[in-house]
Amino acid sequence: MSDQPAKIGDNWPNLIGKRLPRVDAVEKVNGDAKYAGDFNMAGQLWMKILRSPHAHAKIISIDASKALDMPGVKAVVTAEDFKGWSWGWGPQTRDETPLAEGKVRYFAEAVAAVAAEDEETAEEACALIDVVYEELPGIFDAEEAMQDGAPQVHDYVENNQSWDFHMDYGDVEKGFAEADLVREDRFETGRTLTGFLEPPAAVAQYDTAGITIYAAKQSPYFIYRQLASCFKLPLSKVRVIQPYVGGGFGGTKNDSTAGDFCAVMLAKKTKRPVKFVYNMEEVLTTCRRRHNMIVDCKMGMKKDGTITAVQTKVIADGGAYTAIGPLTMYLTGIMTTLPYKLDNYKHDAYRIFTNHPVSAAMRGHGVTHTRFAAEIQMEKMADELGIDPVEVRMKNAIEAPHETINGITVDTCGLKEGLEIVSSSTAWKDKDKNKKDGPVVRGVGISGTSHLGGARQRGHQSCAAIVRLCEDGTVNYLTGASDAGQGSDTVLVQLVAEELGLTMEDVTIQRVDTAVTPVDNGSYGSRVTILAGQAAQKAAQEVKRQLAEAAAKVWQVDAEKILFNDRTVFVDGDPDKSMPFRKLTQIACYSESGAVIMGKGYSEYGIEKMDFEKGYGNPGVNYSFTSQLSAVDVDLETGMVKAKDFLIAHDCGRPLHPVNVEAQTQGAASQGLGQALYENFKMHEGRTMNSTMVNYMMPLSTEHPDFELHDIITDDPHGPFGAKEASEGSIISTPPSIVSAIHDATGIWFTKLPVTPEKIVLALKEKKERENAQKKESE
Amino acid sequence: MDKITCNFVVNGSAEEVSFPPNRTLLHMLREDLLFHGVREGCSHGECGSCNVILDGKLVNACLILAAEADGLEILTVEGMADGEDLHPIQQAFVDESGMQCGACTTGMILSTKNLLDANPDPSREEIKDALAGNFCRCTGYAKIFESVEAAAETMKGGQQ
Amino acid sequence: MVVFYRRMPRFEYLKPQRFEDVLELLADGTPNRYRVFAGGTDLMDQLKQRKIDVPETVIDLKGLAELDFIDFDKSSGLRIGALTTVTDVANSPEIDQHYSALAQGAREIASIQIQNRATITGNICNAVSSADSAPPLLALGAEVVCATGKGERSIKIEDFFTGPGETVLQPDELVKEIKLPPPTKGSNSVYLKLAPRGRMDLAWIGVAVWAEISAGKFTEVRIGLGAAAPTPIRTPKAEAALRGAEVSQKNIEAAAALASGEAKPRENSFRAGGEYRHMMVEVLVKRALTQLAG
Ligand code: FES
Ligand code: FES
Repeated sequence: MSDQPAKIGDNWPNLIGKRLPRVDAVEKVNGDAKYAGDFNMAGQLWMKILRSPHAHAKIISIDASKALDMPGVKAVVTAEDFKGWSWGWGPQTRDETPLAEGKVRYFAEAVAAVAAEDEETAEEACALIDVVYEELPGIFDAEEAMQDGAPQVHDYVENNQSWDFHMDYGDVEKGFAEADLVREDRFETGRTLTGFLEPPAAVAQYDTAGITIYAAKQSPYFIYRQLASCFKLPLSKVRVIQPYVGGGFGGTKNDSTAGDFCAVMLAKKTKRPVKFVYNMEEVLTTCRRRHNMIVDCKMGMKKDGTITAVQTKVIADGGAYTAIGPLTMYLTGIMTTLPYKLDNYKHDAYRIFTNHPVSAAMRGHGVTHTRFAAEIQMEKMADELGIDPVEVRMKNAIEAPHETINGITVDTCGLKEGLEIVSSSTAWKDKDKNKKDGPVVRGVGISGTSHLGGARQRGHQSCAAIVRLCEDGTVNYLTGASDAGQGSDTVLVQLVAEELGLTMEDVTIQRVDTAVTPVDNGSYGSRVTILAGQAAQKAAQEVKRQLAEAAAKVWQVDAEKILFNDRTVFVDGDPDKSMPFRKLTQIACYSESGAVIMGKGYSEYGIEKMDFEKGYGNPGVNYSFTSQLSAVDVDLETGMVKAKDFLIAHDCGRPLHPVNVEAQTQGAASQGLGQALYENFKMHEGRTMNSTMVNYMMPLSTEHPDFELHDIITDDPHGPFGAKEASEGSIISTPPSIVSAIHDATGIWFTKLPVTPEKIVLALKEKKERENAQKKESE
Repeated sequence: MDKITCNFVVNGSAEEVSFPPNRTLLHMLREDLLFHGVREGCSHGECGSCNVILDGKLVNACLILAAEADGLEILTVEGMADGEDLHPIQQAFVDESGMQCGACTTGMILSTKNLLDANPDPSREEIKDALAGNFCRCTGYAKIFESVEAAAETMKGGQQ
Repeated sequence: MVVFYRRMPRFEYLKPQRFEDVLELLADGTPNRYRVFAGGTDLMDQLKQRKIDVPETVIDLKGLAELDFIDFDKSSGLRIGALTTVTDVANSPEIDQHYSALAQGAREIASIQIQNRATITGNICNAVSSADSAPPLLALGAEVVCATGKGERSIKIEDFFTGPGETVLQPDELVKEIKLPPPTKGSNSVYLKLAPRGRMDLAWIGVAVWAEISAGKFTEVRIGLGAAAPTPIRTPKAEAALRGAEVSQKNIEAAAALASGEAKPRENSFRAGGEYRHMMVEVLVKRALTQLAG
């Protein structure tokens, strides 16, 4: 059988591309959907974590006796209980222990945890644990941390260098020499967080069967491996069950938290299930954040706008531990060669330890920073050379097929088409006409960016599916891929149902239960639809093959001729020979004793070689392209900016579930809006000063612009039905288009995110003073 | 801190519940009565995911003591549907895919009810304002606004 | 020690039905024995976060139905009971008409959910400099009527706030109502809030202006600023400069500059720096006056 299902009639595909309701919609509107914090186990205890009041300090002693004496308190754990076990990304960088050991390295790092009969008691008992600290000087600035003599976050790491990553392709010096204009600018991206609404939570049990944990995890197989390693159990005895997840967006829910390890340890100690729920301030103070990065960007450009070379240097505030940081550094470089033609590129990235909370991944991982820098710099230079922002992009935009200088192969690319869509809009064409007189001025900006889909991490990419037929013709579909809200369950069900000629209702997806579902790397790097989608198709095809054989026997025809559509099975070209899918299922299941119809499949992507050290080869299966126009209103007196319109033309290959694709594009743009204008942790000596939702200021209903979305269909040869990523593109395209729009309104290029009202007002004041001084001079 | 006993009418049924006086309405509903559709996001009145309608008014259950609600009527999202039949607002959120992760959805639905009860035909701006106390990180709000508009449309139809 | 609490501390709960009973309880005088609350949106949050000392007993004032009122009379003015919610103030047609700044301020407070519970009295008793009700009450010349078992006193709103989170209220004292003078001919008021988001933010700067204009002149002006100093403040110099002055852009701008000079914002807050806030006081006072000059 071929990889793609046989084309049946004109209305094929039946489900792909249709605006169907989400499979989880009803549960989510009637309150039935259960999240980790909604699970309770009989006899469970509640856990609370005691955290450090210092950003950098030695732990001299911990005395929990008073807490343990308190009625209702069952156990306390400290670092000692974990016997030095640590975790992190890659064997060289396992530097984080579940509870601080010997030293705390960031404010509110977890130090001890209490299990008690109820949460009040656990909270009160934390206050009774006596921890003696010896404060150490802290280091809170990445550049300072690199200097000799700076306080060391980890004793064995000199100059606090957590990781470095380098790329050098072509000859940048030659490229700069060929340029008519060379610019060097410094950019900075903010301290932001994923912002999921459901705080991390879990309820854990530890008994002779091993570990069972219901946990709010976007990628449950990370914690599965980490728990097995921490508790020295075989993987077969670690059961991570994934309830509904209240948002992920990378970082925290792709990793384990102190709470997870402590809950399991306390469950082991007390022989009772243990539950915890983080509070939102705890999330905003202690959880993984996006790296704050300084990007020094140097670009060469010819008079006609051709980019001749780019050189970037990144200094990233990594916070106290490594986490997934090495991958972040890799991503800051590898994707800079897209989406504009580039023959010469050099990149040096340094991840630096500081006494800040840990930096890790977030949607648009790594790529957002350098793309923001290069995008703004390109436009700034075009501005200087008198080239239109659209023209400079068109001039440099790649066209498929394309291979970048670092070996990324692009088979389909809708960038130029997207740029044409946004630039032919009236918002763009009339942008000078629409300029309003102050104090509120309209600004319009554009961007053109790219992201990878089907992320590949150093090769191995487990991603499988099992499709099990029930004898009534319905289907249980098991996948290790997980939906943290993005809608992947719906798309995967769609693929299975499409393949088998069934309806959405016929297919039930099993959320991850590591005892049952096949292993999967997780939901990150826009990999689910592409990789798990392919696995789902293959598993369904395998079921179809078995069914077709049974049907072939019934009708004495070639199995190749059996088609499936609309809950019916029939022989191609012989419409008399048909029967309900359900009937064939029964025939097949009862055909011989013990017959079970079950298919498995796994994704074959990810085998291709890539060089992680040099940044060579494909980091993804395929690549999306996003062109965006943003219109904003800027109040020149107060600096307040309001997003009015986002026009986004996104090439996701082909939208399998158009509603979800729109929703993902809108959601990612919303987060990009936050990063462009509002969100930034204000730090003071390691403490987060704005650690509540009100003070961290994520965009609310009132901040959102009107969206106009365009799908660019490019049908990528990789990815099911031509699909590419659809969940991250617009978080990359939004910040530069907004900054470009603010430039249009104010005449000022802002290079540090977020662009706050204060920055705008003070920059306008400075500009005015400068202009006045110049006027005076020329007089 | 002895337990106190209070009476409520939750989603139409009378409930007598005993709890310590420091119990919030949110935790009483979630833990004593097991209405986990009332969710806890921020715990501080900043996100709206704990929304319930108390005595006819939209409130954040995380900032209210259960004792304060003694003798009052409470509507949670679980009380919106009529048996298996979803409330038109719920149906609109299903039809328009007004949710992703769902963490904000139940609160959004109650805020929508609160809005449409008072203003059956709200403008986009009025919808934005009415939902500003409900945080959503996933959707960019567009499909939520469309859900509210669709709900208003069907509910108007029903009245005629 | 850092613990991120999700639970309330332990306390008892009382809901007296008579005003005198509350005063009697408060007369007790033992520190941290009692703490009263109306809507509870601030108190419950502060208790949860352990931001204040935990009282033995919280006293719910919602049993005192007689304190939930809005009473307007053209000649004697406006009275708002201590239990009147922000929503009721925001929706009152009389307040909207005669005390616009207060209605506007009420509508700017947090979210609908909070407005449904919170009271205007609670908003000022919490004494946060950025409270959206404070600048309007300052500009409208409000007085706070407070009671103890021994009697009542009336305090001008500008004397009410003594520091961040602090007021003149004594431990045995309770706010009964807020009084505003009757509207005068040719007067009007406005509240402008500066905040990045359309809702939920605390004011970065809040400016309320009440002005009486007659024959092209400002006969009387009061300006209230929020988030511009450790407490909500008036700006006497700017007001004096306008009193009797012609309604002109020049005079407005001069007064706005004076008001900016009277602000004493924190130099370094995570929201915005001092220079910016000074500038914004000027912008907002100018806009508010211009709007009233209409
Ligand atoms: S949990 Fe109550 S408003 Fe967020
Ligand atoms: S759908 Fe996830 S927060 Fe709204």
